[in-house]
Amino acid sequence: MTEMLRLEGLVKRFDDLEVLKGIDLTVQKGETIVLLGASGSGKSTLLRCVNFMEVPSGGRVHLMGEPVGRDGRGAAISYSERDLVPIRARVGMVFQHFNLFPHMTVLQNVMEGPRTVLGLPRSECEARARKYLDKVGLGWKADAWPSHLSGGQQQRVAIARALAMEPEIMLFDEATSALDPELVGEVLDTIKELADEGMTLLIVTHELGFAYTVADRVLFLSAGRILEEGRPEEVLLAPREEQTQSFLRGHGRFRLPETPAQEQA
Amino acid sequence: MDYAWDFSAIVQYRGLLLVGLLNTFKLAAVCLVLGLAFGLPVGLMRYARSPWLNWPATAFVEVFRNTPVLVQIMWFFFAFPIISPFDINAFTAAALGLTLNTVAFSSEIYRAGIQSIAKGQWEAGKALGMTGKQQLTRVILPQALRRMIPAFMNRAIELVKMTSLASVIAYGELMHQAKTISTIAFNPIEMYTVVALIFFALIAPPALAVQRYEKSLERRG
Ligand SMILES: Nc1ncnc2c1ncn2[C@@H]1O[C@H](COP(=O)(O)OP(=O)(O)OP(=O)(O)O)[C@@H](O)[C@H]1O
Ligand SMILES: [Mg+2]
Repeated sequence: MTEMLRLEGLVKRFDDLEVLKGIDLTVQKGETIVLLGASGSGKSTLLRCVNFMEVPSGGRVHLMGEPVGRDGRGAAISYSERDLVPIRARVGMVFQHFNLFPHMTVLQNVMEGPRTVLGLPRSECEARARKYLDKVGLGWKADAWPSHLSGGQQQRVAIARALAMEPEIMLFDEATSALDPELVGEVLDTIKELADEGMTLLIVTHELGFAYTVADRVLFLSAGRILEEGRPEEVLLAPREEQTQSFLRGHGRFRLPETPAQEQA
Repeated sequence: MDYAWDFSAIVQYRGLLLVGLLNTFKLAAVCLVLGLAFGLPVGLMRYARSPWLNWPATAFVEVFRNTPVLVQIMWFFFAFPIISPFDINAFTAAALGLTLNTVAFSSEIYRAGIQSIAKGQWEAGKALGMTGKQQLTRVILPQALRRMIPAFMNRAIELVKMTSLASVIAYGELMHQAKTISTIAFNPIEMYTVVALIFFALIAPPALAVQRYEKSLERRG
C-alpha cells in the first residue's frame, strides 16, 4: 500500500473562527473517501487545505509521503507560494460551480493546465486534452464553448480539465450540487469510473446513495472534527453517533441500491 | 444676424491647423498608451491586500481624480520645474498631467474590470497549479479586458477632448493653433466653429461605436 495523503492534527482558523480542530486522516493510493457533514462543518475547508488553496494554521499535511511546508522556528511551519504551486498541480480539484474558463473552448480549457502549468508542447497538450475529453465522453464537444453545454457536460469538462494534469489525488467538492437532478447521474458515473480505475479520491457529496456505492470509507465531520468514520455500511446504515443519525434522517431521499446489508435487515 | 462668414483665412492657414491636429493626436496617443500601460499595475496595487502597495496607489488615484486636469497641467508646467531639477517643455508638462490623469482613471477601470470576474475563475486557475501571474494573464485579464473596452474607449475620447487644455501652456495642438490663427486673421467665430467641427468629427464616430458595442455586450450578457 502506498500512502497518498496523511493529515496530522490539521487545524484551520479564519481569524478567530476555528473551522478545523485537529483532523487526522490517512488515505492510501486508490482509496475513495467520502466526507459528509452539515453545512459549515468544514468539509470544503478540509479539501481546500489538502491542495493548499488554504494554508493550514496548524498540524501537518503529507502528500505522497512528503511533508508539505518547511519547519520554521518553534512549532510553526512556513509555506511559501513557490512550494505550494507545484503541489496544487499534483492534486486535482473539481468545484461545485465548474468554473470553466468561458473565454476558451472546451478543448482549450482542458489543454490549459498542461500547456501553462506543465509547459508541455502544444501537440502533446492537445493529445492529452482529447484523451481525457474522450474519457468523460465529450470528445465530440471539443470545439464547443462552455456556455453552450449543459451543466452536467460542463462539470464533466471540468473533470477532464483536472485529469489532464494527471494528478495523484482528485478532490470533488459537491460536484453535483449545482446540477439539475436529471444531470447528476452522468457526473456521478464519471466519478465512479475514476474510483473503479484506482484513482485516489476525496469526495464531498450529499448524494448518499452514491457515497454508499463508491466509498471505501465514509467520514462524518462535525464542527471541524471527524466525529465518525468507517466503512459505508457502518456509517450510513448503522451510525453510532446521534449527530450522524440525525444528519442521515435529514436526507430522507437516501435510497440504497439493493445491498447485502438491506437484505439481511 | 447677418454676419458674413468668411473661411478664407482658415483655408490659407490650413498648414498651421494640420500641425495642430497632428500634435493633438501625438499628445493623445502618448498619454493613452502610457496611461493604459501604467494603469494596470496601479489598479493591481489597489487590489492588493498589503497596505504598502495599496495605500500609495489609492493616494495617487484620489489626488488625480479629485483635482482638475487644467490644474494638473499648469502645475507640471509652472511648479514642477521649480521644485525639481528637470526643465520641462509644454509637451512634456501636458503629457505628464494627462498621462497621470489617465493612469488614475484607467487603474479604476482595470480594478473594476478585474473585480467583475467571479472569484471561482481565480480559484480554477490556482487549483490547476497556476501562479498568481498566470491566473491573471491567462484567465482573468482576457475575460476582463473585453468588458473594459467601452470604458477604455470613453477614456480615449475624454483624453482627446482634454488635449485642448494644453493650449493654456502654449503647446501647439489644435486649439492653440486655432487661437494663433484667429489672432492673426481676426476670425474667432469661423476659427472656433471649425475647431468645434473638427473635434466633433474626430469624436462622434468612436463615441457612437462604443454605444453600439455596449448595447451588443448587454444583449449577449
Ligand atoms: N475564507 C473564509 N473566511 C472566513 N471564514 C470562512 C472562510 N471559508 C470558510 N469559512 C467558514 O468556515 C466554516 C466552514 O466552512 P466550509 O465551507 O468548510 O463548510 P462546509 O462544510 O463546506 O459547508 P457547506 O456544506 O455549506 O459547503 C463556515 O463557518 C464558514 O463560514
Ligand atoms: Mg462546502
